[in-house]
Amino acid sequence: MASRRIVITGIGAITPLGNDLDTVWSAMLAGKSAVRPIRSFDTTGLPTRFAAEIDGFDGKNYVEKSHRKSLRMMARPIQFAVAAAHLALVHGQVDKSKLDPTRFGIEFGAGLIASELPELVDAAQVSANCQPGRVDLAAWGEKGLGLIQPLWMLKYLPNMPACHISILHDAQGPNNSITESDAASLLALAEATRILARDGADFFLVGGCESKINPLSLVRQCLFEELSKRNDDPAKACRPFDVARDGMALGEGATVLVVEGLDHAQKRGAQVLAEIVGYGSAFDRNLDGAGLARACETALNMAGIAAEDLDHVNAHGYGAIKEDAWEAQGLARVVGTKVPVFAAKGYFGNMGAASGTTELSLSILGLRQGVMPGTLNHETTDPNCPIQVQPVAPRPVSKPYALKVGFTHMGQCSAIVLKK
Amino acid sequence: MRRRVVITGMGAITPVGHSVKAMMDAQLAGTSGVGPITHFDASKFPTTFASQVKDFELARYVAGAERWANAGLNSRFAAAAAQQALADAGLLDDGKIDRSRFGVYLGSGEGVQDFHNMIWQIAQTYRPDKREIDYPAFMAGALEVFHPGREAEQELHTTAAHLASHFHLDGPNFTCLTACAASSQAIGEAVDMIRQGEADLMLAGGAHSMIHPFGVTGFNLLTALSTRNSEPQRASRPFDLHRDGFVLGEGAGMLVLEDFDSARRRGATIYAEITGYGTTADAFRVTDSHEEGRGAIACIKQALVDSGLSVEQIDYINAHGTSTQVNDQVETLAIKRVFGEQAYKIPISSSKSMLGHLIAAAGVVELITCVETLHRGWLPPTINYETPDPECDLDYVPNQARQHKVRHALSNSFGFGGQNISLIVSKV
Repeated sequence: MASRRIVITGIGAITPLGNDLDTVWSAMLAGKSAVRPIRSFDTTGLPTRFAAEIDGFDGKNYVEKSHRKSLRMMARPIQFAVAAAHLALVHGQVDKSKLDPTRFGIEFGAGLIASELPELVDAAQVSANCQPGRVDLAAWGEKGLGLIQPLWMLKYLPNMPACHISILHDAQGPNNSITESDAASLLALAEATRILARDGADFFLVGGCESKINPLSLVRQCLFEELSKRNDDPAKACRPFDVARDGMALGEGATVLVVEGLDHAQKRGAQVLAEIVGYGSAFDRNLDGAGLARACETALNMAGIAAEDLDHVNAHGYGAIKEDAWEAQGLARVVGTKVPVFAAKGYFGNMGAASGTTELSLSILGLRQGVMPGTLNHETTDPNCPIQVQPVAPRPVSKPYALKVGFTHMGQCSAIVLKK
Repeated sequence: MRRRVVITGMGAITPVGHSVKAMMDAQLAGTSGVGPITHFDASKFPTTFASQVKDFELARYVAGAERWANAGLNSRFAAAAAQQALADAGLLDDGKIDRSRFGVYLGSGEGVQDFHNMIWQIAQTYRPDKREIDYPAFMAGALEVFHPGREAEQELHTTAAHLASHFHLDGPNFTCLTACAASSQAIGEAVDMIRQGEADLMLAGGAHSMIHPFGVTGFNLLTALSTRNSEPQRASRPFDLHRDGFVLGEGAGMLVLEDFDSARRRGATIYAEITGYGTTADAFRVTDSHEEGRGAIACIKQALVDSGLSVEQIDYINAHGTSTQVNDQVETLAIKRVFGEQAYKIPISSSKSMLGHLIAAAGVVELITCVETLHRGWLPPTINYETPDPECDLDYVPNQARQHKVRHALSNSFGFGGQNISLIVSKV
C-alpha cells in the first residue's frame, strides 16, 4: 500500500444484538443468538418465518431535533445508517467543527430498498380492480400516481444513506454508494482506504445498511430458496460450515466505521482501534473458491504478511449449502487448516450490505480485547468445508492480524486485512 | 510517477444508435431519440414520452444471450455494450492478457420490478375494514406470481457479475449507484485502481433503464420530468429559457480502461487518456443541488488539478445539462466560477438534448461523446436551444454541430442527492 497509513478510529453499530458494542460483544461471548420468529408482521404461511430483527428502533434518538423532519424521507435501512453514523462519530470522539468538510468523505454499501407497501395502497386500489394480475395503467397515471407522496422515490434510493449522512455532517468530500449486495460494505471500505491512500480525503465514514425483514423483501428471499427453513428452532438456524446447515437467516442493521489517515488521527488525538493494511477484490468465475483465494492473497500481499501471521479469518459464512462449501475451499487454498476461521452470521443472520462492516468490527474488538467469540451453531464441520472452523467456545487471540472476507452468491469477492 | 490510464475500447447502446459510431453520427446530425413511451401504456401519465432504445435484440450482439433471459433491459444493454467495447479493444479472447488483472466497475441501475403483480397483490389483499394489508395473503399471492429468476435479476450486483462471468473478467469487481453520476464515478474510481496498480485493465461504464411504470411515477412525482407532451422531441432543451425538466432515457456505455504501457505493449488502438478526475458531494439537500454550485465548482477544480491542465487548455465541455431549471443554471454558474472569463470562450453542449437522460448510464455515454470529439474535430450541438436564458449565457453550441479542434475535453455528471463527478479526456 502507498506510504499513508489508514486506521479505524470509531465504530457505530445498529444490530439485532444491540445498538452499542459492549452489549453486542457480551451477547456474543455468552453465545446468544438474535435470530427468532419475526414479530414485526404476520408471516403465517411462509416457508421461512424467522430472522434477526432489531426491536424498538427509533431514528429520532440519533438525529438532532432540527433534522428530525428528514427521517420521514428515509426508509428503515437509511435510518439505521444515519443512526450508526451518529454513533460512530460519538465513539470516535470526533469534533466535527475541527474537520475540513471538503476532505470528509462517505462510502456506503447499500442494496435495493423495498417500498413500504401501505404507501402504495391508495394508488393500487384505484387502478388494479379489473383484470387479474394487471394494473390499469391509464387509471394509475390519471388517478393513482397522485395518491403517492411526492418524495416517494427518494425514500428508497440506494445512494440516500450516503447522501443523508453527508448532509447531516457536512461531508463534502468523495461520496459513493457501492451496491454489490453482501460484499458491498467491505468494497466500500477498500475504496475509502484507496481514496485516503491517494490523498483524496483525510477522513471517512464508511458503512453499510440493509433491511430485508419486510413482506416484499422476505417473499423475494423465499423465492431465491437460500433461506433456512428451520422454523422450529430459529436460534439454531444459521449454521456456518456445519454439516447440518440448510440455508441463511436474514438479519438487518447498519455499522459505520470512522476511517482516516493515521496522520489525521494523530493530529486530532484519536484513539486508533485498528489499521487497514491490505485489501483485495476478485471475481470467482467458477464458484470454486479460486477467485476468493485471489482476493485474499492480494490483501495479504498488500499487507506484506503470510497466512501464518493471521490470528483468524473472519468468514462470510452464510450457512448456505453451496456457498459455504466454495468459500471454505477458497479459504483452504490460502490458509489451509492452520488458521481458525470464525463466522458471525449465527448470531444475527445475514445483514446484507451491512454484514461486511458489522462483522469486521468483531475482529477489531477481538484483536483489541484478546478474545474472539466462537462460531455460533457450528457443531460438526462439513467434510466439504476443509478448514479449521473455530467452534462455539470463545478463543484467546494470539496474533495481531485478521483477514475479513465477503462475497456475493454470484462470485464477487472482497477481502480486508486488519492489524491490531 | 503514477501510471497513465487510457481508453482502448468503447461500446454504446443508446436511443440514437446502437454503436459508438451511430450514436456520434446521430448527435452530430442533431437527431433526437425522444418519442412516445411504448414500453408500457403511459398515455395518462403526466409525462407520456421518453427517449427509448429502439429495436434492440441482445442476441444480435452476444452469443449465449440465454444468460440474460430473465434480466432487465439494464443488464441486456450492458452486455451488448460490453461486447462491443471488448471486441473494439481486441480483448474478447482469453489468451492475450492476464484476466485476473482485468476487473469491472459499473455504475448501473436496478432491474425492473414486477409492477403489475405487485400492485395487483396490494389491491387484492388490502382490507379496507381494518385499513391494513393482509400480509400473509399478500405474501402467499406474491410467492405464486412473482418469477424467481426475474426477481433475482433486479438486484444491483447482477449486471456486473454477468459481465465478469461471461467475458472472463476475473479481477476486482465493483458496482456503484450514485444516481446520475454513477457511471462517471465508476470510471473515475476504475482509473484510480489502474493508477494504483490494483488492476491493469478495467471494463468501466454503466447501464440503466427507468422507463417503466415505477420509474416514470417516481420522477413525475418529483416534478423532475418535462411534461411537454405535445412536442416530445422539443422537450429536452438544456439551457433554453423555456426548459421544464429532463427527458428520461435509457441505454448503456462501456469503456475498456487500460494501463498505458500495457496498451502500448500489445499495440492497442488508444482512443484517449483519462487525465483528470474530480469527486465531491454537495452535502446540501436531498432534492436540490447547492444554489451556488459549491460541490460542482470544487469537483471541476479537482479534475483540473488532477490533470495538470490549465483552464485555457480545456477545449470543450460536455455538460451534465439535464434541462431542469436548477441544474442548468447552477452548472453554468459553476463553469463560470471555475473558468472565469475563459468560460465564455469554451463551447459547451448537452448530449441530453438528443439522448435524454440515461441516469446511471448518462456519464459514460457523454464521456464517449467527448472522446469522439477528440478524433472527429466536431462538437455535438445542444438542440432545441431557442430562447436564451439570462442566467445561462455561455456558448452552448446551439442547434448545429460545430467544427472545432479538441485536445482536452471535460465531462460533468451531477447526481440526485449531491454526488458530483468531473472527468477529463485528452488526446494521446
